[in-house]
Amino acid sequence: MTRMELGSTEQLSIEAARTYLLERAGERGVALEVFAQRQSSTSVQAFGGEVSQFKLANRQGVGLRALVGGAWGYSFSENLSPAALDRALDSAVENAQLVHPERGAALVAWGEPPALDLYGEGLSGVSVEQKVGVALALESAAKEADPRVTTIPYGGYQDGDIHALIANTEGLERTDAQLYAMQYVYPLVSEDGQTKMSGDWQFTREFTELDPTRTALSAVEKATRLLGARPAPSGTFPAVFSGECLAEVLMLFSPIFSGRMVEEGKSPLAGRLGETIASPLVTLVDDATLPRGLSSRAFDAEGCPSAPLTLVDGGRLSAFMHNQDTAARAGTVSTGHASRHGYQGTVSVGPSNLMLLAGNTPAAGLTGGLTGVRVTGVSGGHAGANPITGDFSLEAEGFWFENGAEQHPLEVFTVAGNFLELLAGIEAVGDEIEWSNYSAGAPAVRVGALGIGGS
Amino acid sequence: MTAPSLTTPQLLDSHLAAEVLTLARAGGADFSELFVEDTVNTTLRLHQGEVKDAGGGNLFGAGVRLLYGTRVVYAYTNDVTASGLRELADSVSRAGLGQGRADSGEVGRDGAGGLDFRKVEVKPLYVAREHPLGVQRREKLALMRRAHGAAAGVGDVKTVDVTYLDRVQRVLIANSDGLWAEDERVWSRLVVNAIAQDGTFRENGYYGPGAGQGLEFFETVTPESIGAEAARIANAMLRATYAPAGKLPVVIGNEFGGVIFHEACGHSLETTGVEKNASVFAGQMGQPIAHESVTAIDDGTIGGSWGMVNVDDEGMPSQRTVLIDKGVLKSFIVDKVGALKTGYARTGSGRRQDYTFAPASRMRSTFIDNGEATPDELIRQVTHGIYARTMGGGSVTPGTGDYNFAVNEAYMIRDGEVAEPIKGASLVGNGAQDLKNIVGVANDLSLGQGMCGSISGSIPTDVGQPHILISEITVGGRA
Repeated sequence: MTRMELGSTEQLSIEAARTYLLERAGERGVALEVFAQRQSSTSVQAFGGEVSQFKLANRQGVGLRALVGGAWGYSFSENLSPAALDRALDSAVENAQLVHPERGAALVAWGEPPALDLYGEGLSGVSVEQKVGVALALESAAKEADPRVTTIPYGGYQDGDIHALIANTEGLERTDAQLYAMQYVYPLVSEDGQTKMSGDWQFTREFTELDPTRTALSAVEKATRLLGARPAPSGTFPAVFSGECLAEVLMLFSPIFSGRMVEEGKSPLAGRLGETIASPLVTLVDDATLPRGLSSRAFDAEGCPSAPLTLVDGGRLSAFMHNQDTAARAGTVSTGHASRHGYQGTVSVGPSNLMLLAGNTPAAGLTGGLTGVRVTGVSGGHAGANPITGDFSLEAEGFWFENGAEQHPLEVFTVAGNFLELLAGIEAVGDEIEWSNYSAGAPAVRVGALGIGGS
Repeated sequence: MTAPSLTTPQLLDSHLAAEVLTLARAGGADFSELFVEDTVNTTLRLHQGEVKDAGGGNLFGAGVRLLYGTRVVYAYTNDVTASGLRELADSVSRAGLGQGRADSGEVGRDGAGGLDFRKVEVKPLYVAREHPLGVQRREKLALMRRAHGAAAGVGDVKTVDVTYLDRVQRVLIANSDGLWAEDERVWSRLVVNAIAQDGTFRENGYYGPGAGQGLEFFETVTPESIGAEAARIANAMLRATYAPAGKLPVVIGNEFGGVIFHEACGHSLETTGVEKNASVFAGQMGQPIAHESVTAIDDGTIGGSWGMVNVDDEGMPSQRTVLIDKGVLKSFIVDKVGALKTGYARTGSGRRQDYTFAPASRMRSTFIDNGEATPDELIRQVTHGIYARTMGGGSVTPGTGDYNFAVNEAYMIRDGEVAEPIKGASLVGNGAQDLKNIVGVANDLSLGQGMCGSISGSIPTDVGQPHILISEITVGGRA
């Protein structure tokens, strides 16, 4: 292992690194894809009326994917000196020589992506004082909103300015610019010895659209309404899921619609294309082209153009998500769902903005006559939701209803069931989509039976 | 296999480090700290015995932290050249938090620092024998194939995934107090996921031990034993019925069972929450917070363990910290800023995923210590309850202490005997309450390995405990 002498080494830009790598690959006759990102971001956390943490980030790196003998090999480097890039190329080629060749593995010079503006007016006209101002305004507005707010452990502002490029030795060359500004606030509230925490957030592509007062008031409302909680009963009850909560559950189970999970035998939907798998009220779409979506993209991690994809159409399983390779093996074409966690990750298959389309039942109609629970939040999904079986058992937050009337919030309880049974059991679908910060959206829905674990 | 030289050149010239630290304080900061990192990792994945993914790479960057009182300014970059580091220091010094106190800055922008570094003697608690950088990828794949062979086709196991991970992180920590510490951290891990299937029944078994060691770790915990354990869990759960829902007594298994303490209490003992009064345990030092049978420890000094810390990411040597002694709260988990804010002494617990995060108070190897009983004695005390033998992950809301965690492998307990397997059980509760409900602690302590995500990123931590009996806990099943 040779080590760099740091502090003195020349560093290329990501654009120059791309050119350098494609030239070296060309000289060696290696088929190569370069995925590179440069991101600058600012985050400000406020506590006790002042800035408690201020963070400035500048990060860049390249991810390499070499195709050798039908097999992919990966490597990445944040060191952009020519010597380090040479090592990364060697490493990607060596890795490819270890990997089992896959039918369908190919680099493609994809067609033109749709025109999406995900950058807005940019952040260059926004001062540090304005960003700090958002964080402080959020905290003070939340603090003043209600005397039961005791402290605000998590609150702040964050933005990101991201430039990405994808290029390959087939001639593909794509660049992408995205910008976001967001704020979040999670107040801790207490009353009569009971302590609760909840919060709210806002994500935008334009700094000027942020509204700290509105987000703070909504966060305090969400937290205070949980006060006065009583133990939940145990048993099976009719239930209404809020749209935001259902959206989180949809994202937890999105891997069951992945062409990669299907081909590896890990999806309970394998072999069921065309079958009815959900209530006829269910239409599920993944759409990367929504201008205001959290995970919008004009093209995917391989450069394939984005387009909306209907996964479940009136209860019928109509498509899986695919990248280039999984599509080729399944005898279809890429749906533009190649995903990767930045330049450090490998290319897999993943959703963008996943949404259950709205139905026609107004909110009041969903809880009408309900004796059961309205579930407004779930946690613990990284361990309590199993996409291989569809089973879930999750910590939940919610309210008890009697004959259609809300009675009281519930102490920490669990909801348990199976995702596909949940989709099949949907009896009514609300008429308004709510978005979760998991980049999924859904209307509220009513189901006939849900397992509840309480006292 | 050849071990790489341990005399690799230092990450940064000390004159440049001094210049950067001094320049960064030009806006009036009380303290500046530089963290430089050069990390190499490897990821390999086998699916059904075939190599599906081979990757890894070089993480390479530097971060500068400034303190103005207890306010933190942090900035990072990948441009670890002399000019890149000067620019980083300059941007961080201008970040705006020094407003109104710029006149208190005692250092000029053009000073060369003049810091007289004191090198911290970082004694490695463990030295890797089969260093990951000295082992060919083909040899790593051979280990994976052994794990695959021990799981594939066992009982009803139809699908096997094996993932191998290693990471070698070299760091330099220097600060304006003159501290200079360099360290190399080595981690190796093997994860097996086995899926058993019979008709429409399908369950997965997961087992993924790791260590702060080289590949010699797999001589003591063999790849075969890892594969076999994943297959055992998948087969045991395949025909399980759904767990009941409601409040029940629960016996929780040792090793990764310790995730309950990690979620229910550990996070709430970190000063990151305590300092904001956002912990259920704030203000309870010296008070009984758990049943008297509970002694809990956060230990960074277990040589070769997954949660081992030679020196923390603020340059402080690690230590063994008794958190709870016979039920009484004895210490929080304290980093530099936490110490400044709360007045409690630092515990060598300032940790971060990498240079993209400022350090925060984080757990290392956190476990409930041995008691007197045997596991069987605990099970015999339960007439109707649950034996949660192996665990998945969990999470907690530190402000309220409400937590959840998933059970991978569970059984009913009937009349003091372990009975039929059950699936789909999550356990939820409140840490402050449930600590008092731990009524029995066995004598078979062992540690399990996980990645812990929090404010300073995802870091390796051990959880651990002997078998314990909780008098009642909410079980989230379907039946």
